[in-house]
Amino acid sequence: MLYCLIVCTSLTYAQRTAAVLERRGIPSAVVRTPSEYAVNGCGYSVRIQQRYIEGAGAALEEAGLSPVRIVTGLRSGQTGRGRP
Amino acid sequence: MIYLDNAATTFTKPAEVYGAVAAAMKSMTSPGRGGYASAMRAADTVFRCRETAARLFGVTSPENVVFTMNATHALNIAVRSVVRPGMRVITTPWEHNSVLRPLRAAGADICPVRAELFHPDSALESFDEMTRRGAGCAVLCHVSNVFGCVLPLDEIAQVCRMRGIPLIVDASQSAGCEDIDMEALGARFIAMPGHKGLYGPQGTGLLLCGGDAEPLLYGGSGSASELETMPAFLPDMLEAGTHNVPGIAGLLAGLEYVLRRTPAAVRRHERELLRQTARGLSEIGGVTVYAPEDPARQTGCLSFTIGDMGSERAAEELGEMGIAVRAGLHCAPMAHRWAGTAPDGTVRVSVSDFSRRSDVAALVSAVRKLTKSKG
Repeated sequence: MLYCLIVCTSLTYAQRTAAVLERRGIPSAVVRTPSEYAVNGCGYSVRIQQRYIEGAGAALEEAGLSPVRIVTGLRSGQTGRGRP
Repeated sequence: MIYLDNAATTFTKPAEVYGAVAAAMKSMTSPGRGGYASAMRAADTVFRCRETAARLFGVTSPENVVFTMNATHALNIAVRSVVRPGMRVITTPWEHNSVLRPLRAAGADICPVRAELFHPDSALESFDEMTRRGAGCAVLCHVSNVFGCVLPLDEIAQVCRMRGIPLIVDASQSAGCEDIDMEALGARFIAMPGHKGLYGPQGTGLLLCGGDAEPLLYGGSGSASELETMPAFLPDMLEAGTHNVPGIAGLLAGLEYVLRRTPAAVRRHERELLRQTARGLSEIGGVTVYAPEDPARQTGCLSFTIGDMGSERAAEELGEMGIAVRAGLHCAPMAHRWAGTAPDGTVRVSVSDFSRRSDVAALVSAVRKLTKSKG
């Protein structure tokens, strides 16, 4: 299964992102950002299954949330710990 | 003990608050410092607290809710972010030292409005007139911590919006029992303690941010760790160091209680108790009660004096009779100079949602006994 990482500026921002996605029925998990994707050191991301990426993009845009970056095509071992 | 010093700290908390603090201490570590379960439990609790506060106070984004140690800490951040040396800052005569001292330290030109006690129209009129002459900022309390008088915040905020004056609100005595809507007010900052009307533990406070801010403390934030400067985004910019997670968990439980109960219901209950207090005390010869004819102009607390008996002595005697009230200047010296109760101050009675009619009746009875024994 493929995953996406929505890389966020802060833990709070990641939590807000996850809350928006959950409200849209998109399962998500807040995870530590793997160092290769981090910006300026430690940070948090939101992990979702890749099949939700279009819906997620629309939900975030509607909520006025702009992630730092979105990394696609990741396998579970590349995305930090947590479900899903 | 009958506790009537809730304007300092509410003593009885909703049962859920005690449980939440204990559970957090047993199961949570520090948010933003790891991805393991106890850190993420802490992160969830902290975020839920931000969301709940945002919902209660009309804040558009949870990241604009910043955790502080208390209202004083929050006010220091707000003043530091806005006030510059020599800036003309409009206040009220009722300000607490948590407003006055940061303003003095920032070198502000402090200009209190001319307001009569319990006459909100006079405060608004004076505020309007003073801001016509220009002001860099307005910093004022919503409710006086000495007399409980309620300032016309909506109207004052409207004047600020019209004239482009940043507004900083000290909601120490109003959060939880008055309606506060950050977005509707357009305030730059609203500061409040967690341990009073929000029923959280001591050591908690909130700063609601409506604009740019400057850090007061510098240190680790768990984000942007490569940088030697604080992150440029809220809330991390203002939250250096480890969070008070047990306190925030308790505050969350307190906020949920207030949301369920509603500030309007709390306010009704407290006003009824204050009206009972004012009525009872004013029937005792030699007692001066500071209360308005219209109960809607007073919230949470009430001051009184007993003839020429010093306020400290009166409170001490009441303490010996098992009633906890506060005496003196209540950290608001200007309020007493303005109201004519300086230098001795007043005895302050302050209630909470957990105060009962029997508490107030016991106070009135004790004051009656005190005046008889001294007469």
